Amino acid sequence: MTSFGPGLRALSIATVAALAVSLSLVFFYAPLDADQGFIQKIFYLHVPLSIVALVGFVLGGVFAVLHLRSDEARWDAHSYVSIHISVIFGVAVLITGSIWAKASWGHWWVWDEPTLVSFLIVFLMYATYYPFRYAIEDRTRQARYASVFAIVAGAFVPLNFLAVRMAQTLVHPRVFATADGGLPGSMMLTFLVSLLAVGLLWVTLVRFELTAKSASGQLKRLRRALDAPARGDAPRIAPEVS
Amino acid sequence: MPALPLDEAGKYVAGAYVVFLVLIVVYVAIMAAKVQRIERELRELAAFAEARAVSDQAAPGRESEEPSISDSLAPHGSRGGGV
Repeated sequence: MTSFGPGLRALSIATVAALAVSLSLVFFYAPLDADQGFIQKIFYLHVPLSIVALVGFVLGGVFAVLHLRSDEARWDAHSYVSIHISVIFGVAVLITGSIWAKASWGHWWVWDEPTLVSFLIVFLMYATYYPFRYAIEDRTRQARYASVFAIVAGAFVPLNFLAVRMAQTLVHPRVFATADGGLPGSMMLTFLVSLLAVGLLWVTLVRFELTAKSASGQLKRLRRALDAPARGDAPRIAPEVS
Repeated sequence: MPALPLDEAGKYVAGAYVVFLVLIVVYVAIMAAKVQRIERELRELAAFAEARAVSDQAAPGRESEEPSISDSLAPHGSRGGGV
């Protein structure tokens, strides 16, 4: 009875397959890290999650720009859902990062580490998106103000990333494009497959949520349209979000 | 710090992957509940539309005396889902 978005089933299957391949590579193909040992396996989950979450926040800002330019509700829905899924991924980033920090540094959290604190700031900033958005009752103003928030916050994400990269006191491991050579080939392949799998998961969850919202919106319109003859209103059925 | 032995590190690695799995499973469960609610409301709407079509055939021109869809679905109303 429920109609899923076109291609969502194939996308879901591809995501599950990519996650399965990724986990197989992590635990059966990638070699143990000479320095960190088995604990380094968290890297293949934590880093792709953080990259995808941050890209998702930026995409939320891009969709918000499209919403303000076109005034189409679907772009507001895209922006909201992108931020929503990225916040969920952000929770996973903070928890998996803390687990790695406890195992590697002996502490669940280190306040003088710029990468950790900056991600926490970004996460908390986006956590305020929900109360900010739902504090406004008028739907049009709500969507418009939320879009402005998403654009400003989305612009802050890359600036924040650059600021952290330029910081001098780095404790967080740097494994890409370092002077020491970076990741070996087998680890890089495993990482890229993990990144692809987590990226596909993000896209699938966004599409899933958008489809559910679209169905819910159309259901409301259908109810109003069915109710219209009884109340004397003109029926009008149109998709709320695509 | 030196690398943790495998039995010690295994707990942390398993913990990280289990946390990720639990988050995804909880999210999918919430979404499944939401989709089930939409399906239920859709069934109720279809039943209402069929009932109204039957009553329209039986007594044409008496639409204004029928119960509204909002009244008939009031106890199961949607909590809203559209953005």
